[in-house]
Amino acid sequence: MYGCFAPPYFPHTIIKQLHKGNLIANSCLSSLLRLFHRYRDLALQLVPMDYTNQPEVRLPYELIGSMPELKDNPFRQRIAEVFSEDGEGNMTLDDFLDMFSVLSEMAPQDLKAYYAFKIYDFNNDDFICKSDLEKTLNKLTCNELTEDEVRMVCEKVIDEADLDNDGRLSLEDFQHMIMRAPDFLRIKTI
Amino acid sequence: ELFQNIQVQKEIIANIRTKPWPIRRKLKVLKQAREIVLKYEGRLTRTRGYQAAGADLLKKISRVLYNIVVLFIPWEMRIKKIESHFGSGVASYFIFLRWLFGINIVLTIMTGAFIVLPELLAGAPFGTTRSKTIPKDHLASAQDLDTIWSLGARLSSLIFTGYLQYSVLFYGYYGNVRKIGSAGYRLPLAYFMVGMAVFAYSFITLLRKMAKNSRMSLAGASDENYTFCWRVFCAWDYLIGNPEAAESKGAAIVNSIRVSISCIQQTQINLSLAVLISLRILANILVLLSLTGSIYIIYFVVDRSQKLEQEKPELTLWEKNEVSVVVSLITMIAPSAFELVAQLEMYHPRTSLRFQLARVLVLYLGNLYSLIIALLDKVNSMSSAVSRNLSDSTSYLATISQSTEDNLSTIIPDITERQNSTLTRTLLEMQSLLNHTVLYEYNTRSQQDPCWETYVGQEMLKLSIIDMIFTVASILLIDFIRGLVVRYLSDCCCWDLESKFPEYGEFKIAENVLHLIYNQGMIWMGAFFSPCLPAFNVLKLVGLMYLRSWAVLTCNVPHQQVFRASRSNNFYLTMLLFMLFLCMLPTIFAIVRYRPSQYCGPFSGQEKIYDIISETIANDFPLWFSKVMSYVTSPVVVLPALLLLFMLIYYLQSIARSLKVTNSQLRLQLQNVSYSKLNIIMMYFTRLQAPEGSDKKPEQESDITSMESSARSASPPRRNGSITNFESPVRHGNSIRTITQSVSRPDIPRAAGATQSPTHTYPCHMLHSLISRHSGYLGSTSGSCRSKSYHNMAYKPCTRYAENIHSDPLFRKTLRPMHTEPAVITAQSYVGHRAHSTRYVIVNEHEARKKLMRSNTRLPRHYRLADEPTEIVELYPRNVKCYIPRPPHRSHQPHLSEEEEEEDPKSSTRRGSFRQSKRPRPLSDRHQTTQFYIGDTINSQLSMEQGLYGDEEEGDQEEDWVNDPQTNIRGPESAHRYGEPYVKPKTKHKVEPSLTESDSASLASSSDQQNSSTDQYIQVIHNKKKYLKSNAKLTKTKSKSSVKLNVSGTNDLVCSNV
Repeated sequence: MYGCFAPPYFPHTIIKQLHKGNLIANSCLSSLLRLFHRYRDLALQLVPMDYTNQPEVRLPYELIGSMPELKDNPFRQRIAEVFSEDGEGNMTLDDFLDMFSVLSEMAPQDLKAYYAFKIYDFNNDDFICKSDLEKTLNKLTCNELTEDEVRMVCEKVIDEADLDNDGRLSLEDFQHMIMRAPDFLRIKTI
Repeated sequence: ELFQNIQVQKEIIANIRTKPWPIRRKLKVLKQAREIVLKYEGRLTRTRGYQAAGADLLKKISRVLYNIVVLFIPWEMRIKKIESHFGSGVASYFIFLRWLFGINIVLTIMTGAFIVLPELLAGAPFGTTRSKTIPKDHLASAQDLDTIWSLGARLSSLIFTGYLQYSVLFYGYYGNVRKIGSAGYRLPLAYFMVGMAVFAYSFITLLRKMAKNSRMSLAGASDENYTFCWRVFCAWDYLIGNPEAAESKGAAIVNSIRVSISCIQQTQINLSLAVLISLRILANILVLLSLTGSIYIIYFVVDRSQKLEQEKPELTLWEKNEVSVVVSLITMIAPSAFELVAQLEMYHPRTSLRFQLARVLVLYLGNLYSLIIALLDKVNSMSSAVSRNLSDSTSYLATISQSTEDNLSTIIPDITERQNSTLTRTLLEMQSLLNHTVLYEYNTRSQQDPCWETYVGQEMLKLSIIDMIFTVASILLIDFIRGLVVRYLSDCCCWDLESKFPEYGEFKIAENVLHLIYNQGMIWMGAFFSPCLPAFNVLKLVGLMYLRSWAVLTCNVPHQQVFRASRSNNFYLTMLLFMLFLCMLPTIFAIVRYRPSQYCGPFSGQEKIYDIISETIANDFPLWFSKVMSYVTSPVVVLPALLLLFMLIYYLQSIARSLKVTNSQLRLQLQNVSYSKLNIIMMYFTRLQAPEGSDKKPEQESDITSMESSARSASPPRRNGSITNFESPVRHGNSIRTITQSVSRPDIPRAAGATQSPTHTYPCHMLHSLISRHSGYLGSTSGSCRSKSYHNMAYKPCTRYAENIHSDPLFRKTLRPMHTEPAVITAQSYVGHRAHSTRYVIVNEHEARKKLMRSNTRLPRHYRLADEPTEIVELYPRNVKCYIPRPPHRSHQPHLSEEEEEEDPKSSTRRGSFRQSKRPRPLSDRHQTTQFYIGDTINSQLSMEQGLYGDEEEGDQEEDWVNDPQTNIRGPESAHRYGEPYVKPKTKHKVEPSLTESDSASLASSSDQQNSSTDQYIQVIHNKKKYLKSNAKLTKTKSKSSVKLNVSGTNDLVCSNV
């Protein structure tokens, strides 16, 4: 199933080629087409059926975030931002496919951990610092925790996972921590 | 060889999924790799080609098979849908249900194929034997179905006294003929074996599943240090796609965070301890009372039904099904009662959930056990009645025969002596006739005693059916009707039905899973006596799956406190195992303890059920086998075997314990080491800080080359700072990661006062290696060194694969982008950082060996790196150019000298020896290259170190042309185009053997190397360093004489070659 990520241009001829060349598996093919249609269904007037000329189409975040997969997710905006090329949440088809391939069940754990880190890193500075943590917590709990509680949890989190005592979590810290989480291993959360 | 190269490419393809790149880039890399594979696969030898084709075909087939298998996983979509609505907690119930379904399918196949089918096909047809005919008085009721008023009654009567009782469903139907059919199928033996195999299979699958789970959890939940982290980062279930579920999940997260905060703060419940304790004691007493009550009720009901049966000939529906209804009612009601009681206790929710589960499990077990004990009690009385009957009949027989004898004897005197003999004969005949009739009479009488096995099977089946009915009813009533009421009556009610009292039914995962376990326990308990019970259970589970999934999707809300599916997985399985064991016990007990019924079932006429085994062994196996068996089963063998088993268990357990201890110690050690490393590394860092400032520009460039993602390379300013600079290698380095984590952001002022030369202050070997490990990074005040290390690690696999690869320029061409660059970089970096690199190499060695796999996965990254800056061939020379001149400007020199100050005599000798040893290598390897190397050495002698390498670079190109004709495959034009990268490795490779074998000075393996030379670029670099390393080591640790010896050895070689 190695080639199971999407080709960027979606006309059926190319898909057929890919398929013939064994680049993608049968199941991938159907899921790719399904994904493409889902993408297209978000904005029928924007997305052309023919992708041979690689048109630069971006769907705005409002459309992406309204998908049922994302609409109840507190981190939907972050997810869209992380996966979109422009960082604003506006997604091309490539970005869209990318997002689903990472969020899918079959994506490898490393990859998931990497993107999870990106998602939780709100200010894009390659570290999860206290402000990121606070944002995460507030999104997660819908602002139901008091400030004291949030502060305490942040301290605890950094205390637990920060291996080099610099007061923030690097990707390595994060991976080290999350790869040990039973939830992360068993139920593929992200 | 080429094949291996292609393998490398394929691995790139295979591992491309793990790369965090956007899809476009992945595609590009993939396409590239694919092209290589497609292009050069044809170049393979024929067998290799076939092999590859075969492997391809296999892969394709397996993929298709996998797809098909995925298609046939039952209810996958349904479960996914539930998962998407309610999260993975609820889905775990259904997955568990599916798993049980699979087990039951296997059990059904086992019993069906080996017991039911043979009996149906080859057994005596219905009505021929006594056990297969319905007694006349029962026949009436069996056919007279219309008189019974309801379907349930009909069903129960069917099962109890109707056709079904005399069908394959139950034990009693099976004949006791030793061999049936033309093939001589031993049905009784098969029956027994399958009965045992059911348990064996269940045990094995359960244990395997548990082992798998625990292996997974061992990999993960090693330490519990991350409670808050997990609660924050892993809390959200990304599968949730339903606003209600999202809401409740959010609430659950808040709850769990609050709980763990309170755990930290250790805030006591503001209730006085005495009250709490008394409350808990009260709760436990209540639970105990209800448990004993339920057990008593069950026993009482069984007893009553027994009495009723004896008293009344015709039973009402209620009386017939009393037992199972009562049991089902208890299993339904008691858990809710326990839940109410649990609220009294005010435990932590998780603890209370565990208590609840434990209590419910005890309740279920108590129910099953009291039922089975009551049944066995009944069986006891039944068999005693039978034996009484038996004794009655014998006495009856005796009296009859007595009387006949009397009669006859009275007749006898009247008859003449002559006729005596004939008379006695007739007398005997008469007697036997009489006996027969008496026996027949007795048989017809005893036929009314049902066989107890069938009875137990019936009870189990009935229980299962009633349980199913109750489950369906509870789903419909409690969930569905309630949901309807809440939804449609909430408008016209004075309070909010949805949020206040009735609410929607929660889906209680734990209780439902327990119910499944209970259900399975019933099946296991009854499977021996009712071979079709698993088949029935399959149907039940299918129905349950559809009903539950429908109910969950339509009228349930997810449970507030989701019992974490991940943790509970083995918890549930443990309970199932427990259940299996406890359910096996009564069956085994019955098999061992009770005498099988005399006139029904496959074991009729035997003293014990298991006699079938010994009987078969005695009769149907050769003599030696039974002899062997008798030895094996004798205490002489059994006792030692048992002892051995105990010893083994003890041994394994102690090993496990010691491993656990070692584990914890290692963890502790790891922590300590990482702290000490931190200090040392910081020292290095501060020491090497000074030269860094001047190096900024080159650093940036090399950074870009080594950068992983375009995004990062696009923002070099960030990377400028020393701190961020160190990150990039950290990313790439594998084993160093943990260390560098701590290193990457060291406190500079803190470490400022560090010792000047750590090697001296920490002479111990471990520290030394440690330092050397980091010097690669920290010493990389120039980015080149860093990139070098990066490449070293990265390309290690490549070199590995390429070890024996025949020189193939075409392959090189495609790979070139990634090879040339590192080569160039390393060349210059090498110049600057000899001192560092010497120590650094060790790490790479280790790493390459240990993490071959990982670095393999890493490969594509570099690949990508390569294609990012330079996709065009022409770029390379340029790159080379700009790198070559750089070294002099780079101000490595001060740094170098700094290093040399520490070990100046050694380094000088090292350098010298290096040159010398370098020379002989090519000579020994290849005569064509001698020229070049000589020139090179001259150059090196004349020029500075950097000059040497720069020259070497150019010299490489020359050498390339020299070599071209020599390599058979390569065409001239390809040589021109790709010559430069091609040669580079070669020359370096020459050095390699001398490095590795410099101690022994045996350089004989030249011919071998010649073949492999072309692909060794990276190894080359690596080896150079290694060479230095070895030299340095020698100079440091050993006497200088050894070095000299080494040098002289190589010199000798040179001479001989020339």
